[in-house]
Amino acid sequence: MSSPAGIVAISLVCLVTVGIGAFGLRLSRTTSDFYVAGRSVTAGWNASAIGGEYLSAASFLGVAGLVYSLGVDMLWFPVGYTVGYLVLLVLVAAPLRRSGAYTLPDFAEARLESRFVRSLASGLVVGIGWLYLIPQFQGAGLALATVTGASPSLGNLVVALVVVANVVAGGMRSITLVQAVQYWIKLTAIAVPAFVLLAFWARQGGPAPAADLSRTWGQVLGGFGGREHPVYSTYSTILALCFGTMGLPHVLVRFYTNPDGRAARRTTLVVVGLLGVFYLFTPVYGVLGRIYLPTLPAAVRPDSVTLLLPQVVTPGTLGALLSAILAGGAFAAFLSTASGLTISVAGVIDQDLLAPRLHHRGGGDVSRIQTFRLAAIVAVVIPYAASLLTVNTSLADTVGLAFAVAASTFCPLLILGVWWRRLSVVGAAAGLVTGGTLALSATTITVLGRPGVTHSGWLSALLAQPAAWTMPIAFAVTILVSLATPSRIPPGTARTMVRLHAPEDTRSSGAAPS
Amino acid sequence: MSNDAQSRTDDDSTFTEVQQSAEFTDLRRRFRSFVFPLTGAFLAWYFLFVICAAFAPAFMSHKLVGNINVGLVFGLLQFVSTFAITIVYVRWADRHFDPVAEKIRNHVEGGGQA
Repeated sequence: MSSPAGIVAISLVCLVTVGIGAFGLRLSRTTSDFYVAGRSVTAGWNASAIGGEYLSAASFLGVAGLVYSLGVDMLWFPVGYTVGYLVLLVLVAAPLRRSGAYTLPDFAEARLESRFVRSLASGLVVGIGWLYLIPQFQGAGLALATVTGASPSLGNLVVALVVVANVVAGGMRSITLVQAVQYWIKLTAIAVPAFVLLAFWARQGGPAPAADLSRTWGQVLGGFGGREHPVYSTYSTILALCFGTMGLPHVLVRFYTNPDGRAARRTTLVVVGLLGVFYLFTPVYGVLGRIYLPTLPAAVRPDSVTLLLPQVVTPGTLGALLSAILAGGAFAAFLSTASGLTISVAGVIDQDLLAPRLHHRGGGDVSRIQTFRLAAIVAVVIPYAASLLTVNTSLADTVGLAFAVAASTFCPLLILGVWWRRLSVVGAAAGLVTGGTLALSATTITVLGRPGVTHSGWLSALLAQPAAWTMPIAFAVTILVSLATPSRIPPGTARTMVRLHAPEDTRSSGAAPS
Repeated sequence: MSNDAQSRTDDDSTFTEVQQSAEFTDLRRRFRSFVFPLTGAFLAWYFLFVICAAFAPAFMSHKLVGNINVGLVFGLLQFVSTFAITIVYVRWADRHFDPVAEKIRNHVEGGGQA
């Protein structure tokens, strides 16, 4: 199907994003501004920006697709996405702010005083970021193809180009503005069509899904859609989402844009509210899809159900208009999440890979901003190429795997790093390597493995939702190896622990925060 | 690179002293004894939903009004409860944690950093 309204909506979102990015460029002056917006962002803006950055392709299209294809169990995804912020807030947010580390590798180095652990953390940030970027590009391809009938790979390219332009031009300050605006675009784009479609549904007497279907589809843990071992899968998903959020590369840095700990808490409260409101609407599309679209046309992925629904419920101009609004909102989701991730991944590539080498070779000719821009291009090109491969997993499942990797690596590092004095360098490194290897292997097999061989029985369930076993193993390895190597506890641990747990102003009275 | 912490010149002994002080130990203990049980409790609440769904499907599919069953209400409550727990934490931190933290700060500024 080809819809001019859809093309207009998508173009508009891309132009507004680039426009605000260019406007923000004038506000950003120094490298420090570039990274954390000079800490001058208010709580309301910041919460909107966090919400805008966080609500990705998985949230906008993926949740509805999962609810549609696998039943009501999948409502756990939105709940888990929200709870992750709560876990992050109560367990690690305040100590992390006080650590003075902008990124996860910064924290790893500050806490463990080891360049090696820092490098491991950098590699993981890039890996998780890329894994998370792939479904953003794929979602864009899907949305553009659904609305305009264009080749699916075109949307991947459009989003990749806009993200590079935006990140290269603006940096963090403009991104904060862009992200905040994106949240409200997304909420409007998901809520307005939902209300219209629900009105149509109510006027038709509120039809229910076909009876034989609702018995398994509507039953919690009924195993609809051929997914085996639903109880294990659900537990594992909840664990991954609750404990993975704290280890996502683009989440932590947002806490630095708050002026103090109190504001950070306020911000998180608003974030939980904003996410909750948004997630009330996404399952509506999955449920209505079950009623109006009992079977999908051949070769159409369930992830497109949100975009297809309006045309089925109310064919004609109104349907086309609603589809266009949804496509615009979906593009806002891809652009904002991909921009945030790209900034974080590029920051790490720049700091740990490019800058040391280029400065060495160029004798100081190469400025910090230039290497950052080069890093941004590297950060996008690789996941863009990977997004063109065919994968087995839906958008939300791929994102879920990124959470699982984060929960199996950064979660033990952060929780033990913040709360356990006996964490040793060797223990932390062993935990990161073990958790990362296990979770990334499971992810690779699930995403790229041949269906039918790796996709049945317990093994498949364990590989598809690895967090329930990889996370405890990573914790156990970190703790046991640390206990076995007490001589490798960082010498400055006492000082670091005071820095992490004493109130902020104790430290900043001596040195002005930058 | 973290750029505020490293530039300080004060010596390690202040930090060791602070870490071993009664106030600091008390501060960490207060924080842990509130936050860890809270985390355990809300995770248990989320897992309870799954347990109910797995072992009490009749209860979960009991219809309350029209097509709305217990499971659906339970599910929506998860969002409400997440928000409620966050409010509880924020209020606790404002009322009970910050004042103690303030006291330690005054102590360190008065005694440690001459």
